[in-house]
Amino acid sequence: MKPGRLAWWLVIWVVGLFYLIPMLSMTRFAFQRIPVIKLSFNNVFSKWTIEPLLTTFSDSGFRSSAMLSIWLAIATAVLTLLLLVPTMTIAHLRSPRMRRVIEISAVLPFVVPAIALVVGFAGAFRDTIPQLIRSPFGMVPLYVITALPFTHRTLENGLASLDLRTLIDASRSLGASWIRTVLFVIVPNMRASIATASFLALTVVLGEFTIASLLLKNTLPLYLAYAQGQNPQGSFAVGLVLVVLSAGFVTAANRFGKRVVS
Amino acid sequence: MVEAVTGQYRASFIYSLELSAVSAAIGLFIGSLVAIAIVRLENVRVLRSLVVGYSSVAANMGGIPLAFAFLSAFGMQGLATRLLREINIDLIGWGFRITDFWGIVLVYLYFQIPLMTLILVPAIDGLRRTWHEVAQSLGATANQYWRFVALPILTPALLGGFLLLIANAFAAYATAFALSSGGSRLVPVQIRFFLQGETITGKTNLGYAMAAWMVLLTLVLVIGFQTLVRRSERWRQ
Amino acid sequence: MSGNLSFNDVTKKFGTTIALDSFSVHVNEGELVTLLGPSGCGKSTALRVAAGFEAPDIGDVRLGTNSVLGLPANKRGLGIVFQNYSLFPHLTVLENLEFGMRVRRVSKLRRSARVAELLDLVRLVGLAERFPHQLSGGQQQRVALARALAVEPQALLLDEPLSALDATVRLEVREEIRRIQRDSGIATLFVTHDQEEAMAISDQVCVMNSGKVEQVGAPKTIYRFPSTPFVARFVGRVNDLEVEILKPGVARLVGHAQEFTVPATSGIRGVARVLLRPEDVRIASQDDTGTLKGIVKTLHFGGATTAAEISVLGTDHVVRMSDSTRAINCEVGDNIEFVFDTERCLVTAATH
Repeated sequence: MKPGRLAWWLVIWVVGLFYLIPMLSMTRFAFQRIPVIKLSFNNVFSKWTIEPLLTTFSDSGFRSSAMLSIWLAIATAVLTLLLLVPTMTIAHLRSPRMRRVIEISAVLPFVVPAIALVVGFAGAFRDTIPQLIRSPFGMVPLYVITALPFTHRTLENGLASLDLRTLIDASRSLGASWIRTVLFVIVPNMRASIATASFLALTVVLGEFTIASLLLKNTLPLYLAYAQGQNPQGSFAVGLVLVVLSAGFVTAANRFGKRVVS
Repeated sequence: MVEAVTGQYRASFIYSLELSAVSAAIGLFIGSLVAIAIVRLENVRVLRSLVVGYSSVAANMGGIPLAFAFLSAFGMQGLATRLLREINIDLIGWGFRITDFWGIVLVYLYFQIPLMTLILVPAIDGLRRTWHEVAQSLGATANQYWRFVALPILTPALLGGFLLLIANAFAAYATAFALSSGGSRLVPVQIRFFLQGETITGKTNLGYAMAAWMVLLTLVLVIGFQTLVRRSERWRQ
Repeated sequence: MSGNLSFNDVTKKFGTTIALDSFSVHVNEGELVTLLGPSGCGKSTALRVAAGFEAPDIGDVRLGTNSVLGLPANKRGLGIVFQNYSLFPHLTVLENLEFGMRVRRVSKLRRSARVAELLDLVRLVGLAERFPHQLSGGQQQRVALARALAVEPQALLLDEPLSALDATVRLEVREEIRRIQRDSGIATLFVTHDQEEAMAISDQVCVMNSGKVEQVGAPKTIYRFPSTPFVARFVGRVNDLEVEILKPGVARLVGHAQEFTVPATSGIRGVARVLLRPEDVRIASQDDTGTLKGIVKTLHFGGATTAAEISVLGTDHVVRMSDSTRAINCEVGDNIEFVFDTERCLVTAATH
């Protein structure tokens, strides 16, 4: 192997190790019934069990919060797509300036702290539409905003790789309405990026703690946080499963679409 | 508003900023290396999808799971700490604490590095191979190519990413809270402290003021980011 | 300043695909040689091997008398123009042109003088401060050409420089390239899949197929005396007729009675194919013997010339005829008599 390539592989391995170590420690903690202090080279492979995972799954509190989070994730993904796909299509077609505006606003969520978002949101709607704050689904718009940087970029990449003008002209000239065109021509061609964007929305919702905690809604991340007290192993086991699943989904979606997230 | 940035509170702003800047700088460096690595090693087909996939998840990580993962690895009773002790590397004896400045930087890097990677990879994709080949045909060495072509073209993404990372770290609330178990010197944590302890401390205004300063600071960063983006648009098709 | 460029028996494989197979071609000083062929024939690979972006498995590439294979890509002294995305987007036209000189640490004074010269050469004076995205495609390619010439390369390599341009712009830039090449006398290798382009500007055309050289010669020679069926079919239009060789020199269309002469080709007997250019088919005059009869199916009016498609009476054969518009004074549906001028046709085995 050429020395140049070796250097880059080294980078990957070192960073990979950095990513892996905390996860491995957490895995060991979650699935091995030996406190760290008592660990030695003799018993490293003993007492591994998936019991903590099973205990957590059987807890009704877990199930209800998991369901809530899943619904929230679906709602977030759907709202994101409904919002972004038509808007971005139009921006791509008509106005490069609009594209830039969307691009820049898509980065803002990173920069506006979740706290400010919640404070602003709560303050704005507390008196006018209190139901919005009472219902957990009121968080969906906030989630959409939080996931925006990732979802926007993914969809942008998918959209940019299409010959949009030609597709739309062809579809319209064959008599299709705008809605049909978007649904049956553009969306199928963006399958990979839509899939990836949805999974990214999922990961964001499943990892989002701040907003839910401030609004006191019982989402999965929150449940896991409070379950830490009674069943630490179980809650971290679930957390790990979530990480592996999310990463797996995004990687798979990425593979099938070739370079969709970045 | 002024009280929010004087005395002990000023210290927290500075602490937060230092933390953000340092983690952003290191994240910038390492994240760029990873981004370049996966583009260079293009022919290993799964590598790029895997790195990007995991980075997407890692960049969103925060709060308790992340804090705990690091505690379980590098804390006083951490697995890695113990393993290293077996080979005579005593981190604790050297004074390393995961809850200290550098410990928190390490934890922040877990989401800063992937974020930088995700930001930079499309920019590196944009470096067309033809430019490299043309530069070579005109006599440029690899060094000259980087200095005159690649780096200038990547600079907006690099600087923009850096600012983004700073803002991201500055706003990281859950992680900091979890790591320091409520008694932190970080701005976001203190804001929460003030806002949720309404009747006890009676200093809600202070909380709002700190939040306002935070927004202001991040606004400055955003504007900086925007100008950089606009400059890169200057010559992009 | 110029040298001549030659490929000697260059072979290059990518995995199991053979991109170049014993490829040999010679470009003299002052000459423009075109590598012409369909996608995947190896023409771009040959150019990249010369430039140093690929290394051949076997064979040699020489500039003058020296092999360039030992030199890295940035030390070969060859100018390159790519199909697109040639110019550095973050630099102005001026900075792009200066690039090669800055790399060689040429003084500011000399750089400015040379840049002015170059802008004049490609007729883009006044655009020095523009960015590439502010220029049209044709202008960009002219700047790319000027930039390649800025450091006085020994040879010029052009990889389909016109393929991304609009039709009218293509003609303009094509003429510019030829003019500049002639004036500077630099050995030039031009790669394209457009045979009309190749015919128009080359001194020599090298037709390639699957990594091999089919034929090398002046455009006129390639066109009028194609040496292989591939060349006959790829360059210009050709009638591909299924015939029966009755004896050496005598053939007739399959399913038709009329015999006509063909060049005697040894080893081919029975069913075969004859490749005949449309301009070698003409309407019979009074004195012609051995004429064929047919009905005019379609007429393609092309200004000075017209092409007619003739359905041969009693068979499925369709023959294309091309002549000056004056000579073709028939209408669609007319019955006509025509003859083949078979001096320059190519007879080949049935499977080709």
